[in-house]
Amino acid sequence: MTAVSTDAEPSADPQAEKKWRRRGLLALAVLLPLTLAETSFDSVREWLRGEDLIARDIAFGQSVPFGGGSWKLADLRGGKAGRLPEGAFAVIATFTVTIRDPDLQKQWLGCKLMLIDAAGHRWLPDIIAGVGLPDGVMNCASAIFSGAKPGDTITVGDTFIIPQDAVKTIRPAVGLGSERPWYLRFQRPPK
Amino acid sequence: MKIRVLGNLAILAATVALSYGMQVTKPHYADLTAPLPVDGAMGKRVHARSFDVRLEKVVFARQLKTNQFGQEKLLTTSGLWAVATTSLTATDASTTVADGTWQGPTDLRYNQTERLGYRQDMPPHGVDPGLGKLGLFVFEVPPDQIRGAKLLIAARRFGPLDAQARISLDGVRTGPDGQPADILPQYDLDAPPRDQGPQDQGPQGPAQETRP
Amino acid sequence: MFNTARSKIQTWITAGAGTIAALFVAGVMGAFGALPAHAPPQLPPGAAIDAGRWRVQPVRAYVSHAKVYGVLLKPGQKALVLEADMTNRTAQSDKAYFDVFEPEGLTLADRQPMIALTRDSTLTPELHPGMTERMAYVWALAGDAAVPSSLGFGVTSEIFKPRDNLYGMPGWFNPYRLGTVTLPVADMPATDTEGGS
Repeated sequence: MTAVSTDAEPSADPQAEKKWRRRGLLALAVLLPLTLAETSFDSVREWLRGEDLIARDIAFGQSVPFGGGSWKLADLRGGKAGRLPEGAFAVIATFTVTIRDPDLQKQWLGCKLMLIDAAGHRWLPDIIAGVGLPDGVMNCASAIFSGAKPGDTITVGDTFIIPQDAVKTIRPAVGLGSERPWYLRFQRPPK
Repeated sequence: MKIRVLGNLAILAATVALSYGMQVTKPHYADLTAPLPVDGAMGKRVHARSFDVRLEKVVFARQLKTNQFGQEKLLTTSGLWAVATTSLTATDASTTVADGTWQGPTDLRYNQTERLGYRQDMPPHGVDPGLGKLGLFVFEVPPDQIRGAKLLIAARRFGPLDAQARISLDGVRTGPDGQPADILPQYDLDAPPRDQGPQDQGPQGPAQETRP
Repeated sequence: MFNTARSKIQTWITAGAGTIAALFVAGVMGAFGALPAHAPPQLPPGAAIDAGRWRVQPVRAYVSHAKVYGVLLKPGQKALVLEADMTNRTAQSDKAYFDVFEPEGLTLADRQPMIALTRDSTLTPELHPGMTERMAYVWALAGDAAVPSSLGFGVTSEIFKPRDNLYGMPGWFNPYRLGTVTLPVADMPATDTEGGS
């Protein structure tokens, strides 16, 4: 279109126009990616806040601040217990958490306890008929509404069903809404 | 002068033609964001994005017996009950598989029934990596929507651009009238029949309805 | 263009013709708009009615004084029940049948009916393409509400658009009153309501 119609307009200096046209094109190259980034920013942020993407590896016995508290792997034990499907194993993972910020409904929103094996497979908690949590251990959801105060130490844990061949490499992990996309991945307790 | 006018007209015409072509060939928004089908056959493992599914068997019955809140219920239908048994497993992470659709030979879509209430073996099925699980999908379908049908299984009902297993039901034996060869008079969800032989030689055609 | 008297006249005539045509069209449209809107027709009872995504055939209407198809009534209430055979005319399972029927000229305790499958009293299940099921529409009424022995039920239909104007999605839009079907309303004693048809 332009090629046909521009020469109709009287241009004082064709060199100047050419220069501006080139500048315009260059500006496009910068502005288009910027616009794309601007429009997708919210979606990307929303997505990052919903996913446990980046692991922080924590040594066994170490206590780390996470989501307004300090988390430490207390125990990881497995066995054949309760009613399980063929070739499956029951695992209980527990963490001790010292609360600093008592607003757990905000800090622990979307709290997720997981087991992750060497291949990256993830298991979420399951209800196992005949296997309950040990006394004094609560799952994430009830911990959020437990009314824990700053300084309190609570034990959070859950039960999992995993296939037998994953037992050797699983590591417990924790994801919290206020910390995503980062999550904690704990080393297994030494044998 | 004349050439410029002609040139402009040509460009205008080309633009109109291109725009019109783009408009008429534009795919539906619904198609653009539709689930991505993964085709498979009965008895074969179908790999969807977040889960694997294998359709083990489909049983047809005129009545469905179920236990609801400790109360036995006998459910009738104006068509047939189709009970699809699948074995499910998660690929990478624990997830749920919630949606089953019966797609008839002419693409009519029958959602899974809502008349059964909550049951352990009914969707949503919680599935874990490395662990198999049997899950049922139960449909009400007219007898003429069985031959050439497909079973669609997805993680959730509206999953734009997520995978959807599409399993053709070629393993279902049908008679010359298109109806399934075996129709049980009754299927007890809490005590499924073990053998899959021809059990019902009852009258073909629309089920005689009896009120529970 | 405008430098000769002749072309000036031509311009005036052209513009004038356009204006007259516009006025004429507007006048005709306005005249149609001013016509008295004809009332929705009476629909024949006992025949199937194609109402958008549903083919409906009203079967019977009655007033119930007790629980009907699992729908509980508050104390002092009675229920107007309309039983109809409903067939999903679309290509997929659907439950958008809440506004299909509406009793006319009654004061309802709640405009929204409870709708149950008469087979087993399942509340508002999805109905599947081409599968006819008998559904019971249950409207709660005040216990002392007068119900005429013959009652009109408005039938609402919708139109199908293969592409809506916003997303280009197929769907059902623009509900309109298709007509009225008039049925006799029996009065069911409290004991004989669970019997079905």
